[in-house]
Amino acid sequence: MLRSENARATETSDKLRKDMSSLVPVAAALRRLLQTSAASLWLIVSLVLALTCPCGLRAENHDALKADASQYFRDRVTPFVKTYCLPCHRSERPTRAGVNFTPALKTPEHAAFTENWKKADARVRAHDMPPKEAKQPSDDDRRMFAEWLPRLKYLSDKDPGPFVIRRLTKPEYANTLHDLFGVPTSIADGLPDEVAGQGYLNSLSPLQLEQYLAVADNVLRQIVAPPGRRRTATEKRLFGQSARAGTQPGGEPRKAAREVARSLARKAYRRPPTEAELDTLVATFDLGTRNKLAYPQALGLMLKGILVSPQFLFITPAAEAESNAGIVQLDDYQLASRLSYFLWATMPDEELMTLAGRGKLHEPAVLQAQTKRLLDDPRSRALFDGFGAQWLNVGGLQRQVFDPALFPQMTPALRLGMYDEVRLFFQSIVRDNEPAIRFVNSDYTYLNGAVAAIYGLENTVRGPAMRKVRLSNSHRGGVLSMPGILAASSLPNRTSPVKRGVWVLEQVLGEQVPAPPPDVPALDKQDPAAVARLTLRQRTELHRTNPVCANCHKILDPIGFGLEKFDAIGRWRDRDTNGEAIDSSGELPGGEGSGSEGLKAKRFSGPAELKAIIAERNRDVARNLVEKMLAYALGRKLDGYDEIVVDDLMSDLAGDGYRMRAIITGVVSSYPFKYRRIEAPRRRNAQN
Amino acid sequence: MRRINRRACLKGVGLNALGVTFALPWMESLGWAGVPTGKADKPPVRLGFMYMPHGVIMNEFWPTSPESFLSSPPRALESLRAVLDQCVVMKGISGVPIDPFNGAPHALELSTWLTATLPAPEKRNEINIAISADQIAANHLGAFTALPSLELATMPQTWKENQEGLNEGYYSHCSFSSPTQAVPAEVNPRNVLNRLVNKQEPTKAPGSAPLSELDRSLLDIVLGGARDLRRTLPVSDQRKLDEYLDSVRSVERRIAAIEVRQKEAALEKAGVRASKRHASDSPPIEIRIPEGEKRSEYMQVMCDLNILAFQTDMTRVSTYIGSTPNGASYPELGFNDQHHSNTHHNNDAVKVRKIAMITEFNIRQFAYMVTKMASLREGDGTLLDNCIMMWGSGLEDGNIHARENLPFVIAGKGGGSIRTGRYFADTKGNQGDLLTTLLACAGVPNDRPVGIATKQIEELKAQA
Repeated sequence: MLRSENARATETSDKLRKDMSSLVPVAAALRRLLQTSAASLWLIVSLVLALTCPCGLRAENHDALKADASQYFRDRVTPFVKTYCLPCHRSERPTRAGVNFTPALKTPEHAAFTENWKKADARVRAHDMPPKEAKQPSDDDRRMFAEWLPRLKYLSDKDPGPFVIRRLTKPEYANTLHDLFGVPTSIADGLPDEVAGQGYLNSLSPLQLEQYLAVADNVLRQIVAPPGRRRTATEKRLFGQSARAGTQPGGEPRKAAREVARSLARKAYRRPPTEAELDTLVATFDLGTRNKLAYPQALGLMLKGILVSPQFLFITPAAEAESNAGIVQLDDYQLASRLSYFLWATMPDEELMTLAGRGKLHEPAVLQAQTKRLLDDPRSRALFDGFGAQWLNVGGLQRQVFDPALFPQMTPALRLGMYDEVRLFFQSIVRDNEPAIRFVNSDYTYLNGAVAAIYGLENTVRGPAMRKVRLSNSHRGGVLSMPGILAASSLPNRTSPVKRGVWVLEQVLGEQVPAPPPDVPALDKQDPAAVARLTLRQRTELHRTNPVCANCHKILDPIGFGLEKFDAIGRWRDRDTNGEAIDSSGELPGGEGSGSEGLKAKRFSGPAELKAIIAERNRDVARNLVEKMLAYALGRKLDGYDEIVVDDLMSDLAGDGYRMRAIITGVVSSYPFKYRRIEAPRRRNAQN
Repeated sequence: MRRINRRACLKGVGLNALGVTFALPWMESLGWAGVPTGKADKPPVRLGFMYMPHGVIMNEFWPTSPESFLSSPPRALESLRAVLDQCVVMKGISGVPIDPFNGAPHALELSTWLTATLPAPEKRNEINIAISADQIAANHLGAFTALPSLELATMPQTWKENQEGLNEGYYSHCSFSSPTQAVPAEVNPRNVLNRLVNKQEPTKAPGSAPLSELDRSLLDIVLGGARDLRRTLPVSDQRKLDEYLDSVRSVERRIAAIEVRQKEAALEKAGVRASKRHASDSPPIEIRIPEGEKRSEYMQVMCDLNILAFQTDMTRVSTYIGSTPNGASYPELGFNDQHHSNTHHNNDAVKVRKIAMITEFNIRQFAYMVTKMASLREGDGTLLDNCIMMWGSGLEDGNIHARENLPFVIAGKGGGSIRTGRYFADTKGNQGDLLTTLLACAGVPNDRPVGIATKQIEELKAQA
């Protein structure tokens, strides 16, 4: 059986190798990362194939693959690590280079060691490790070790990952207050900005808590009328029609307050409150009464209590989970919150809450129908503001610095127009269920007069309103050539081909570009006067005279220079600022030893052809989008079993051409979205 | 690693088990809060940090010799000339070696600055580093003040860039209240002022509401409910909720301190002087919030707020991120480039000049702050006499990311613990040693060295 699995893997590799030209940039990027010799190129290619392998590995295969990976690890990898790695990288303090294989041998699949394995893989391929003075493995041993990393994921048990309670982000908090009370979202402007996304900070400081108190006061001022004044509509809606409810003779104010608390908390906590939680809230009402507050004001104090409670500020589970329950399904209220904060960045609406209350939401058909409903709602714009804007790098455009002397037109209005172009384009792909590759390759965009001027279409499109525009210029269309995105990777006074190249590799193709080495060698060995006369391209090409720089830059620079015909704010140009003609041709290298393995460099003459080369990598673009969106939806980094989830999603989506709504629905229906792992208490830390 | 517990400190000053009532130690002693009665006349030591990223132009920063330090200071320190006799400069303090994060010099220059520690490599995508020196100080010195510490910045802390897979928060934070919790800084001067005087603007969006006794009681009830919730949560969730609980307690304590201060003020109004501060002490400085967008004015109003907070004993610890590594620009200097874009200058004269100007500019703002402190009377001397103010950068030379000799200036005598007016051209030690020494000088009983420290820098101290 084992042999047949391996044979199948080889077969897949062969099939994919035919399609290898599209993977050349990845291969080259990796090789540069690994600094390997040409001789081991085929290894890298197979690694790349394994990492990006599109073949769906369904659950039935998983057990077999896991058994194979376990055996491979036990029989082959473990002796290798013991011989070549452990002598230095073992449990001791301090660990050498922060790498310790002692615990990794016990639980190789633990997320904490993924980095270790990746690093070891790269170092061993590059012949960096073991160090020269140490015992060296044979080439066969190195090859064996290289085949380990692609197998690693199969060791992971089926695991949805933890779903640690999560504080609402600033926009989520603002939107939720808006939905609850009808207050403007600007009410939260005073809160500190925060870093969202994979590395989301998710902490809460005393400063923030003080601001939550202040915002709560502000909400109360807007919705609770002072004694003797006319009550606001919101107050009546939330506190009941009568201002004196329960205060009439024979009334029971505490009982009435408890009912108000029940309905308020169900909305604000996004789940029904427990009786103990109601006791707490009634105690805050009592506090108000003791301090001689009138009935509505005492309810106001109770509402303030709700707004600084963790049940409001965090997304918390409705059902109490056994601490040793292991893996559990999200309860329907939690699922409703996860879904609505993912697609709307706000609290679930009444329909979601009702379905959750009836225990229906987790049913696949219901969940899919709700996903569609949420995407059809204008609030789904939040998916762009929260996810799309970060992914496409335009979130910081309003604050980015441009030299006002060089780019006087970069007014707030134009920046907003650029942002809206990207937003409307993103939203159109969601709305029309376009394939993911549409992001790279499209013949339409959205423009208003200001943005049209950047395109040179100022005679076609006028006025401040954005509208859909067909593009006939093949250099335009798609995110590679959108002014907002091009501007976002620019320096204040010029383009940065390197940053553009990095952006395309990381955000469009989903590759990791390593940081430059710490001691970037100086370029000043050149005659400074001569350097000053060079074009930006020629100067940047100096990178490539140094082998340390060259490895990276021969991938980054061609992409960046392919886009050089767009200036720092995205206008077409034929000459640079010194009046020199711009050469935007290039090729993506096939690597040393090309000719073997059928690797051929692909030449392009300008942005349109570069775009076409990148658009051929349909699957990479789609996989990158799936990974980034899943990470955003889960609010955490992907790891271990998630890789298999993505593999499965990719094979489900392939038939349909990776369409956007299918991707979103796939993420929402995925195992880690609907389940969570509950950490066992006091589990021994696997690392030490 | 033992975490210093802020609550343990609180018990020492009479917080009861429920965390509600706050004893009034300085009402009884009629002196500086927390200063033993016998020494009631001696003002407390305050500790402040101010940061600039990307290092300096070395030959314009390091003094030529110890002898010429006061008479002909280097160009970068010219703005400090008036108070140079109250400063110390030391060459030879090395930063934390950043291997295995060699590709992340900027993610780490700020976050290692006050921790002298590297992030945990296995948890690099989370915040997992160490409590920072300012927060260690806040745990002790902050037990007696309305705010345990004050964190200021002039740029939003939202930089995103993936270097070595490190959490983005490392780019823009230097204060960590625990290994896993970064402390955000306040960037809006108006919010800081409102916090210091406990007022709220009637019309503006809220930054800080006046906190009241009622809030404290409310938080106390909410806290009880949160504890109930905590019991129902899995362990990982409990840890998250603990941050919330800590924050609630901290705010409660602040409200208590504010009430004490208000009673003190009422007593003073009635003719009873509540503290033994000298009648000759300078009155609190005035704060003017600038209207325009000039960077110098923005940086200076933050300096003023720092001074006011120390002068009125609202806090004794401050950390001021002058700018984060993602790069401010300085149009006032006549160019719009972002700071970082010129740091890899490769000795290009124009770029070197720009970096030198940016460094001078930043030190000038620090000089503004400490010179003003030196002009304010307090006790038998000046406010600066009772402070330890450190300005510095987490890199020495931004061109090659060197961190062998971290540039820094210490101003203030630390209540007599530091002998100033000196330049040490060849100090042996690292950033952890320096921070450990500063904590000792500030009177922080520290039971373990900071980060990579192995010793204290004895020559810094007055008795050495």
